[in-house]
Amino acid sequence: MRTKIFVLLLALSAITPACKKNLDVPPLNIIADKDVFSNVAGITAYMARIYSELPMEDFKYQATSGFKTFFYGSAYANAGEAISRDVANTTETFNYWADAYILIRDCNYFMETLPQYASNYSAAQVNNWQGEARFIRAFTYFALVKRYGGVPLVDKVLTKPGESIDDIVAEIASFKIPRASEQAIYDFIASDLDFAFTNLPETNSKGRASKYAAAALKSRAMLFAGCIAKYNNINLTSGGTQVCGISSAKANDYFKAAYDAATLLNGKYSLYKASFSATDKAAQATNYANLFLDAASAENIFIRQYHVPDAAHWYDANQIPHQMWGNGYSAETNPTLDFVEMFEGMPKNVDGTFQTLDAAGHYLLYDNAGDPFANVEPRLKGMVLFPGDVFKNQIIDIRRGIYTGSSAGGINKLVPANSTALYPTANLLVSVNDVPSPVDVGGGKKMNPAGSSGFFTNISGVAGCISGFTIRKYLDPNKAPADLATNKSDQSWIEFRYAEVLLNRAEAAMELFNGGQGSAYQTQSLADVNTIRDRAGATPATLATLNINAVRTERRKELAFENKAWFDLRRWRIADTEMNNRIYRILNGFYSTTAAKYFYDDRWDERASRYTFDPRWYYEQIPAAVITKSPNVVQNPGY
Amino acid sequence: MKRILNHIALGLLMITAASCTKTDDYKGPDQTLQGTISDVATGQNVQGEVGDGANSNRIKLLEISYSANPTPQYLGVMQDGTYNNTKIFAATYKIDAEGPFVPQVQTTPVVDQSQTLEVKGGNTTVNFKVEPLLRVDWVGTPVLNANGTITVQVKMSRGTTNALFQNNITDIALFVNTSQYVGNNINDASRTARTSYTGNAANAVLGTTLTLTTVGGALPASRDYYVRVGARTDYGLKQYNYTGVLKVVVP
Repeated sequence: MRTKIFVLLLALSAITPACKKNLDVPPLNIIADKDVFSNVAGITAYMARIYSELPMEDFKYQATSGFKTFFYGSAYANAGEAISRDVANTTETFNYWADAYILIRDCNYFMETLPQYASNYSAAQVNNWQGEARFIRAFTYFALVKRYGGVPLVDKVLTKPGESIDDIVAEIASFKIPRASEQAIYDFIASDLDFAFTNLPETNSKGRASKYAAAALKSRAMLFAGCIAKYNNINLTSGGTQVCGISSAKANDYFKAAYDAATLLNGKYSLYKASFSATDKAAQATNYANLFLDAASAENIFIRQYHVPDAAHWYDANQIPHQMWGNGYSAETNPTLDFVEMFEGMPKNVDGTFQTLDAAGHYLLYDNAGDPFANVEPRLKGMVLFPGDVFKNQIIDIRRGIYTGSSAGGINKLVPANSTALYPTANLLVSVNDVPSPVDVGGGKKMNPAGSSGFFTNISGVAGCISGFTIRKYLDPNKAPADLATNKSDQSWIEFRYAEVLLNRAEAAMELFNGGQGSAYQTQSLADVNTIRDRAGATPATLATLNINAVRTERRKELAFENKAWFDLRRWRIADTEMNNRIYRILNGFYSTTAAKYFYDDRWDERASRYTFDPRWYYEQIPAAVITKSPNVVQNPGY
Repeated sequence: MKRILNHIALGLLMITAASCTKTDDYKGPDQTLQGTISDVATGQNVQGEVGDGANSNRIKLLEISYSANPTPQYLGVMQDGTYNNTKIFAATYKIDAEGPFVPQVQTTPVVDQSQTLEVKGGNTTVNFKVEPLLRVDWVGTPVLNANGTITVQVKMSRGTTNALFQNNITDIALFVNTSQYVGNNINDASRTARTSYTGNAANAVLGTTLTLTTVGGALPASRDYYVRVGARTDYGLKQYNYTGVLKVVVP
């Protein structure tokens, strides 16, 4: 008996240690769901990360390097707005895909996990966060669909909690999701944004989405969908699903959705007019320039914030005119004459091009370098720096060279129109680089042939201006020279501003009017365009002059240098006709020593850099790695 | 030292032993696949873009003996409409051709003119009869003008009666180059004469004789030029249909 008890005790003592629960502890160095989801600080951290991953074409986006990158160059030199010494004709090449699905998973994970911790929060908090997750997921799908057409639609976390690698491998076939139709993706975006609009608050902290950010995104996305339905010619059907292209019967529905979404913002935002004056053109120009720098702007709907030194970008260093540079980069964005000519208030030929010659074919002569631009539309003055403009208390000094030939009887055009010919070297003084080499131009005056901002003929060696213009939009006029360097800029990127929403509605309305939906839409389109033109300081449009091309031109002018043009030209399906072996035009300023006056020569880009948009690019190439992993994903046509 | 060497030797032995368990004796790609893409009505080869399949006309191979849902392989077609690839695996393929002609595989209405066959026995010829979107034919021979430019004449017509593929003509161009490879992707841009059209403006040239002249003044003398006329419609990827390439000697 005694022995039996001993054996029993021994057996029990052997079992007891195995039952100690506190040995089964989760690793302390890994943050678990409950650490993140059970308190506001954890959720804020989660949100900060997914917001930072938003695929936004902002200061840190370029077609070849991608999102969140640092580069010298310009993102605006791919759609005709500008040319750049360091950017050539290209489509996007950075294969945005894997990052998108990681972000979509983060959103799905958030949406599915938050309800388990909902008791810690008020209903308003939970709705707000769920709305933000939907907004971010919609934004990400929009970034995919505008590039690739239909993509695999993942609306939930695919793996189950606690699955091992072996479990996941066993069901890998179920993860090889084929592409959904392009229409299904746009419809999914619309439904996510409807949810976001219902659940998000009227206002949110800076950099986070309010319900109106969701409405603004919806108006943009639905406008894209409508244009694909109406203008796309490239169709691809796989397994009965139309992955490229949308039935044209859907066009009016999408334009109506864009129109309605834009109308949700009525009375909630207004165009920035803090320093606007109806009678003062200079004030209008300054007002337009300030719009991009004033953090208190009532026009901003959704922004991305930056901060020096931990979250900075390179914008000022890249864009500053050469004469103010910080010895690093400068003048990377050079607006084309083709772009400048879209505006009013400058000498023009009957065909709308910039006038440089008089009736006899001689150059028009000016006393001051800035004279031909004195009366240009204030909005243009607010976004482009012209020769003779004053910026940071300096006169912008952009010139091609000094002409020493005779001016008696007028100066003939130096090279024929529409020619890639080089300028004759006789009678022409130019600057190879930015080393000051003033020459006597008579009257006791000395002048650097290329001014202090270029054109420098050693184009690739010296960071000078190559089109006759540089850019002012978003440029900070208060930066110290030492701060005109990389990692020193932190102005906020305005992703949605009210002007775009008005233009979305104007375009959708014009498409609806053209689609036979009634003249009330035409009237609304005109009203919206004229709201924009009024703030721009331009003459009002009329019903007689307003057509779809005029509405598009208004958009291209107002939203220039905001990374919209490339995707707009694509959705209108006109990129391949706009860029069909195209050389963009520039405007070179000269000083004539014998006339003691300035003249301008319009010509083709002296590098003869040609732009061609391959029609295949309307649907980008799906990364080869994606198809290797999942052969169910079909490639877009032509790749 | 000897110990270390022994360890290294042992390590190498283990790696070698582990990697030698099975010989890769799968037969290499030793089959030749060749053929032409020709106009079903005229029997002439359909002229195409220069390229390796990325921009040129191409042959699409689906290796269905490997998988029911294979990733497509593409073979480039030469600019004269022939193709020839000597490194193809012996297998069963579903084959069709892609280019500026009525697609061989369509979804609405369903059309499937692709050819399924086994590639084996060394040499396989697969020809395709297609309806080009446009036919561009030379009229006469190119003329070297007194001012040093070249003038050519062509006549264009629709290659198909299917209204779905009779889109508006958007571009007509006389391409010039100093090598026999010439087209939209490779040409002397300063000599090439391009005209773009909007709407249906260019459709009037169908059936008429069209005269085109090189731009950019006199062509530099004492060399050979190769010319070719291309035209495209607003269909799909907007690829060009071409004439054949002609040589012009500028003395």
